[in-house]
Amino acid sequence: MKTQKFKRPLAWACLIGLISVTSLTAQDGKLTEDEAFFYEEFDEIAGVYDPFESVNRFTFEFNDFVFSNTLQPLVDTYTAITPDSVEEGASNFFNNLRYPVRLASNLLQGRFKGAWIETGRFAINSTVGIVGIMAPADAYESFAPIESEDVGQVFGAWGIGEGPYLVLPFLGPSNLRDLAGLFGDRAINPIKEPSSMIDDWEWEWQLATSGADYISRSPQIIERYKQLKGSSIDPYSSLKNGYTQYRRGAVAE
Amino acid sequence: MTFFSFRAYLVLGLLLVATVSAQEAQKEKLQGMIDAALDVIYSDTNTTLSAYEKQAQVREKLESSYDLDVMIRYAIGKNWRRMNEQEQLEVLELVKQLVIKAYVMGLDGKDRPSITLGELTEIGKARIEIESTMVLDTKTYYILYRLRQMKSGWQIYDIVAENVSVSSNYRGQIDDHFRKGSGADLIARLKDLLAKDKINEDTKI
Repeated sequence: MKTQKFKRPLAWACLIGLISVTSLTAQDGKLTEDEAFFYEEFDEIAGVYDPFESVNRFTFEFNDFVFSNTLQPLVDTYTAITPDSVEEGASNFFNNLRYPVRLASNLLQGRFKGAWIETGRFAINSTVGIVGIMAPADAYESFAPIESEDVGQVFGAWGIGEGPYLVLPFLGPSNLRDLAGLFGDRAINPIKEPSSMIDDWEWEWQLATSGADYISRSPQIIERYKQLKGSSIDPYSSLKNGYTQYRRGAVAE
Repeated sequence: MTFFSFRAYLVLGLLLVATVSAQEAQKEKLQGMIDAALDVIYSDTNTTLSAYEKQAQVREKLESSYDLDVMIRYAIGKNWRRMNEQEQLEVLELVKQLVIKAYVMGLDGKDRPSITLGELTEIGKARIEIESTMVLDTKTYYILYRLRQMKSGWQIYDIVAENVSVSSNYRGQIDDHFRKGSGADLIARLKDLLAKDKINEDTKI
């Protein structure tokens, strides 16, 4: 009887003890788990091959100088004197002209839906949107803007590796695959040589068109660059990582 | 079905419902935090605040919902061990200031963005991802918030904007820094970046 009296409290004591030990162990394990989590490796930064880092850093500094001292004042003037609607119109116009690049890139990746949407957008924007200055296709749900495709992404989708990371003078971050893609884009682009559809295309006009295209895209680029530079411990490293992640994501989508 | 197995299923079901609603509650908490931070930046009553004051208020709002140290520790990774205790604390504080500065300054002069939270997905053990779209200056951006259940509760450990992970981006920079530099150099660099901001301390946003 006496033993029976002790049995129940003993059982309770054992249970409470067990719960306490389990709880403490769990907490301890959780703490270790939290610490282990902080030391996890990232897939995203694995394998950014940068054998030309010293040259790339030099080019990065050069581009930074050009951006800050030439492009920035030019863009500031452009945005100051140009009404927003004109800025948007110029951006739409040049974007519409790059349709053949996007169409070919979609087709080469077997993205027929993307090719269809791009074609619809081009047809609507070139006609209703007056040679692409406006983008009325945005109003149609089935022809809403999609991610822009280029030849560099095509190469990526075909399994071609990125190659070394490169910083191109005036153009910024790239890699060997995307550099080859740039030549591909140019070959398809109807207003750029060698496939230009315009006969007797004087170099001055070519330069002016390319310059206008570049300037119309610059406000956004400059804005992003300034943000990145202002919040980066190492802007070169940040741009390298950001560009690589962005392109890998675009190829994977 | 025996009474015992019925009870077991009932308990399991209740646990599942509790887990799902606890995760869903994170969406509300996140939306609340985003709105509170944007209210500080865009509220009419705050137009007289300096950039520095706005950053301080935004920080208060963010920290009342989440432990920002988690995201910064995740971004620092193994480099944490390369610093002494004092350096660790200083780096945590300086990176926090830098990230908040970038957030507030990034919205400078822009219309209030409209942020809509989307689907919540479980992406691993004690990890969730909340999709969101941000419309800023007529452009739409896709942003993912990644949260993990830590000892201190659900915490944001990464934000992925347009395929670019913020934590990974900082990890890449910090890894590159520690290949040649030390904790003291990192602190000096961070102070330098923040000092540039001090010049514009009284700039009105």
